[in-house]
Amino acid sequence: MAVCIAVIAKENYPLYIRSVPTQNELKFHYTVHTSLDVVEEKISAVGKSLGDQRELYLGLLYPTEDYKVYGYVTNSKVKFVIVVDSSNTSLRDNEIRSMFRKLHNSFTDVMCNPFHNPGDPIQSKAFDGIVSGMMTQTG
Amino acid sequence: MAKCVQSVQEFVQDSFVPMVAVLCSEEAERVTRKNNLNFAELLRPFCRLTSEGHIRDPNNQLLIVKNLRVCVNNLSPNPSTASGVLNPLQRRVLNEVVLSCQSQEGTLSSVITAGDYHLSVSATTPWFEAYRESFLQSMPASDHEFLNHYLACLLVVSSTEAVPVEQFLKLSQEQHRVQHSGEYTYPKWFIPNTLKYYVLLHDIEEGEEQRADTLYEDMKQRYGSQGCYLLKFNSRKFSTEDEEQIPDPWSQYLHRNSLHNQDLIGEVAPTSNEEDSMGEVDCHHSAEKGAVTNILDNHPLQLDTPNSSGSLETPSGVSTTLKKGSRDWESVTGASGSHGTCLTLNDHDRIRQFIQEFTFRGLLPHIEKNIRQLNDQLLSRKGLSRSLFTATKKWFGGGKVPEKSVNEPKNTCGLLYPPEAPELQIRKMADLCFLVQHYELAYSCYHTAKKDFLSDQAMLYAAGALEMAAVSAFLQAGVARPYPAHYMDTAIQTYREVCKNMVLAERCTLFSAEILKSQGKYSDAATLLIKMTSEDSDLRSALLLEQAAHCFINMRNTMVRKFAFHMILAGHRFSKAGQRKHALRCYCQAMQVYKERGWSLAEDHINFTIGRQSFTLNKPEDAITAFRQILTNGSRQTASQQCAFLREYLYVYKNVMQENEANLPQLPLPCIISSATRVYFGHERRLAEGEKQAATHVSLDQEYDQDLAAMWFHLEEQLVTAANRGVVPVNFLPTQFCLNSQTDNLRHPLAVVEEPIVVEVTFKNPLKVSLALSNLSLLWTFTPDFASPGQRTAEELPSHTVTNEQNPALVMNDKERKDNTVTTETILEFHMGPEETKMARIRLLPHRTGQLNIVGVAYHLAAAFPGEMAQSEGNQVTDLIRVCGRQDFKIQGPRLNQTKEDKISVRHGPDRRLDPIITPPMPLIEVFFLQFPTALLCGEIRKAYVEFCNVSGVALCGLRVASTHPHFFTFGSQATTPLTPLSPSSAENCSAYKTLVTPFQPGSVEPEMLVSAEDFNQPTGVIDIPINGSVLQPGESTQLPLWLRGPDHEGVHEINFLFYYENTKKGNKISHRVLRHTVFICASRSLNVQASAYHSSAPHSSLDNKDSNGTLVFIDVENINMSEAGVREFHIVQVSSSSQHWRLHKFINPAKDKDCKLTSRERAKLCFKATQCRPHQANSEVKKYTFADLNLGNERIISSLTPCGDFFFRCCRTTGSHQVDVAPSRTLSSSRSQSSVSTEDKALEMTKIVKKCNELDLNLIVIWKVHILVKINLVT
Repeated sequence: MAVCIAVIAKENYPLYIRSVPTQNELKFHYTVHTSLDVVEEKISAVGKSLGDQRELYLGLLYPTEDYKVYGYVTNSKVKFVIVVDSSNTSLRDNEIRSMFRKLHNSFTDVMCNPFHNPGDPIQSKAFDGIVSGMMTQTG
Repeated sequence: MAKCVQSVQEFVQDSFVPMVAVLCSEEAERVTRKNNLNFAELLRPFCRLTSEGHIRDPNNQLLIVKNLRVCVNNLSPNPSTASGVLNPLQRRVLNEVVLSCQSQEGTLSSVITAGDYHLSVSATTPWFEAYRESFLQSMPASDHEFLNHYLACLLVVSSTEAVPVEQFLKLSQEQHRVQHSGEYTYPKWFIPNTLKYYVLLHDIEEGEEQRADTLYEDMKQRYGSQGCYLLKFNSRKFSTEDEEQIPDPWSQYLHRNSLHNQDLIGEVAPTSNEEDSMGEVDCHHSAEKGAVTNILDNHPLQLDTPNSSGSLETPSGVSTTLKKGSRDWESVTGASGSHGTCLTLNDHDRIRQFIQEFTFRGLLPHIEKNIRQLNDQLLSRKGLSRSLFTATKKWFGGGKVPEKSVNEPKNTCGLLYPPEAPELQIRKMADLCFLVQHYELAYSCYHTAKKDFLSDQAMLYAAGALEMAAVSAFLQAGVARPYPAHYMDTAIQTYREVCKNMVLAERCTLFSAEILKSQGKYSDAATLLIKMTSEDSDLRSALLLEQAAHCFINMRNTMVRKFAFHMILAGHRFSKAGQRKHALRCYCQAMQVYKERGWSLAEDHINFTIGRQSFTLNKPEDAITAFRQILTNGSRQTASQQCAFLREYLYVYKNVMQENEANLPQLPLPCIISSATRVYFGHERRLAEGEKQAATHVSLDQEYDQDLAAMWFHLEEQLVTAANRGVVPVNFLPTQFCLNSQTDNLRHPLAVVEEPIVVEVTFKNPLKVSLALSNLSLLWTFTPDFASPGQRTAEELPSHTVTNEQNPALVMNDKERKDNTVTTETILEFHMGPEETKMARIRLLPHRTGQLNIVGVAYHLAAAFPGEMAQSEGNQVTDLIRVCGRQDFKIQGPRLNQTKEDKISVRHGPDRRLDPIITPPMPLIEVFFLQFPTALLCGEIRKAYVEFCNVSGVALCGLRVASTHPHFFTFGSQATTPLTPLSPSSAENCSAYKTLVTPFQPGSVEPEMLVSAEDFNQPTGVIDIPINGSVLQPGESTQLPLWLRGPDHEGVHEINFLFYYENTKKGNKISHRVLRHTVFICASRSLNVQASAYHSSAPHSSLDNKDSNGTLVFIDVENINMSEAGVREFHIVQVSSSSQHWRLHKFINPAKDKDCKLTSRERAKLCFKATQCRPHQANSEVKKYTFADLNLGNERIISSLTPCGDFFFRCCRTTGSHQVDVAPSRTLSSSRSQSSVSTEDKALEMTKIVKKCNELDLNLIVIWKVHILVKINLVT
């Protein structure tokens, strides 16, 4: 399903980034990092017109030859990025949306952990599990 | 896209200029060669017209032609054809152009701030402009457009020629042959009847002016005054000593050409091997004589390899040879003099005038005429309906044969028109209009042509028309026609996909991107540029990606990350294309975005690449910095990756090391946790030596404990007070043996000469790879202390600081001197596992007094590869990449918090733990304990021996000891010592006492002894150690007995001793020294003793008459031992009393039991009669204690002597001090073995006693012995 899932802090450093182990991890790091430009562009564009009532889901950020990159920004400006294989055409926008929602819920749980220091990299088994589920589901 | 020097309009305009060919006679060639130039080159600097020209369009409107440039090239006919890809030679030239144009560091960078990013980006990219210029120049002329076809030909003949007119004729015929014979497909000509312009060259130095003038007159007659020109030049002789400064306008034009030429020469050798025909090589040489740019256009040695990556992938070797070659070339040209040395400024003006004359009188009218002609043709054709015309063409096959390209099987661009096809005429006219800047007409023509071509499905032509339509639409000044970007997009796509002509597609992209950029459409420009990157050319991809990156950063919403990413891509392509410097620059620029933002994987990758590129570019320092970043950044790479990083780093490092050997460079690995550094002063001690047990003292293995330190400080203070007769000196400081981050390091610690200093360095390996350190040693500087009287050899040495900081391998001769100062110990092997934190202890042994500063550590670093370490040859492998380096300690003192400034800013105090002062020799003592127990019963007395040994070369005195448990031990008082046996062997019976054999006599009056308390007196807590003569000479040792008494409470007791001694000589920096000892004693329960006193109610017997006022003392003894430590039974051997007023008088055993044995949990009650002492004794001035011993066995123990007395008085003092006023009714229940019980019983029955004290002050000492079952373990 997803080939790379990343959580980026407000200050644009990675809190969590995981990709399918078979592929070059570095490539995904670059992809995700570069997608932040588009995320910022989208946020700034939306922020002016709609004010606070902003949709968290940003939709397709940009397509590359091999992947599609989707973005999602929480109200606290934490960014989620999901990279999906372009060949996977079965994936609809709605499904991506629900993936983000699931990710956001799990992220909220992580943040609710009193022992988690906000701003630290996420090290949570539950979160790992959710992410793994998204990456392996339907292969 | 970065800013360019030219404006977009200028750039586009300059890319399409009228082309003029030159044909020279040999003589003319010779004359111009004097200036080290050929004719085309001679003209080149003057080809831009400064004045305005005029032209009339078909409607007779006057147009102004501004800033026109003509391009003059030598005519070099050759048969090759244009193709859609650049040939390898062209690629190499482009590569060379880019390579030679590097960014000047720091000159042209602009700072861009986006969000929290502050990037310095090079504002201009001259290498790109150079590439673009060179690329456009090398564009092969194509059939589908006429812009770079030759419009005119200059025929040049020298006036020195015998018959110049004949020469003109010959040249004219030659031109005609080239154009019309069909032998050469190149060069291409614009119009069949090319403008021929006859030029007579007159060398002023050589020829006769008269002759030239007449010849010119003749020419005017023949060709008309508009078609010929007399150019006079070479007005001075070539002379090297002529110092007149004439600007050299050729240098900027010819510099690059020389490079090109050199490339061609370099090209011959390798290609001639592949190409069999020598003729082609000859042809190549002849071509070389011609204008360089022409050769570039179509080179005969075109390799048939569409994928030329082979030649590009191995550029390092080639480019270096080329570079060398070009340098040679320059030196050659430099030696032969600069260009145009025979020309004066007047000559320059003449040439300029000539060009102007030629353009305005010859070229422009020619163009004007042709435009008019073409226009007429087109108008005449307009009568026919276009659609009908094309329809008939389709139905009847028309007058034109659709012809597939023979030369280019790949060319799928539809049909090709013959050169003079009517469809091309409109395009021709459009091109002519474009060249003379009549963009409006050009646009409408292109537009029409485009429609025609599209309807014919002539895709290549259509694309060309689209491209030019878009460009001319853009160039139309003042017309509100939007730039048709989609024309360009279609054109690029057609070129790429239909025609497979990457060169044209690239040209189109370059224009379009530049135009879009000028309109602020950076995003579109970037998309175009990125689309144009492909696998076939790394150089082009790299340059375009870089420009795209610049587009991203110039956008309104700056896309910093995209910029960085595309920079990295560009860098990657640059490195593939062999452009290392450019690659490095790209990576460095991208680095600014990724740096320290948590994207460690990417950051490491960039750093690694930067490191590699820097190294190959011979910038090892940069390489090291980059590699160091990877290794110390706490990278999350895998172990194998880190291993590779490390290996690369070590390799680079080693190479750097070979270059500069003077100083040891700093190594980044492993990390030193500086604050955890501990310093220990003194010898490392053996704790046990045979049966001797050394004092524990302090060692580096112990953790620092604040409470313990305070305790030792307190003890030392007591000792110093005692030594200084009750006063603590003002400058008293506790001795610190081991310094760490928690100790007070504000002052320089004091170390003693010839005593080692051990520094414990904490290394942390941040990598997942093992590291092998070797030859680990400390670096120090040493300043000898001249003031010290002990330093006799001071004058031998010049007063400078000794250090071992230099590379030890280099300064071997210094080694001896250093060893004389400080011996540095080396740890040969120190292996660190992955992510391990490990301590190394390194020793220094100072030999002289002075100030020592420990600066850092030096070591050899190598990566340890697990498999190789085990093998013997593994060492050799590690030797290969072992590097030598150092790391300095950076110890920060504690944060200051005293003043306001301290509090509002962050300040740190000094930390001097590594800067010890070496002082003259001091005595050093070793203390050993013999037969020292580890477990005792509560109250048990045990005898042990203590040995003091002076191991230094200096005598010591004033030996004292202080302890946290002064009750625990005694050395015996001075008065009683001689009586005690000195040999440990006499203590066999485990009897620590002095005994007398006395049979038990019940009822007899017990002997009594009077002892003064002063005999046992000692100042509080501190005990002087009674050694012979109170001075211990060097090497001497002395043994003393030591009595120990088990603590009163069960459990494990920690007992600390602090031995104090001084130098016999006073006035040293170190006033005294101390030695610590800590023992742990496990006390187990023994007897519980309770005593009570009752007034005797029984009638006095005759015997006791005189002591009418006696009391009965009952002692309840209970064995509360739980058979611990193999105890079976207790024997109560003796009960003694000690008091100032009372004495035990008689033993009244109610049970009549002779000896008192107590097995586990047994109780016994003993009854004694106590009487008052004689009054005179009690009233004596000195308080004396009466000791009375009542023995229950056969032996009497003299309780008043050591050790019994010692312990008694010691307890007495402490209890006494507690009980001055208080007199509670209490019994000391915990009086065991030989326990002194002070029973104060306010006995109610004692009313009859009319003594001043109504309390009984009697201390009882119960002496017992124990039978211990010794368990014998049979080992089978």
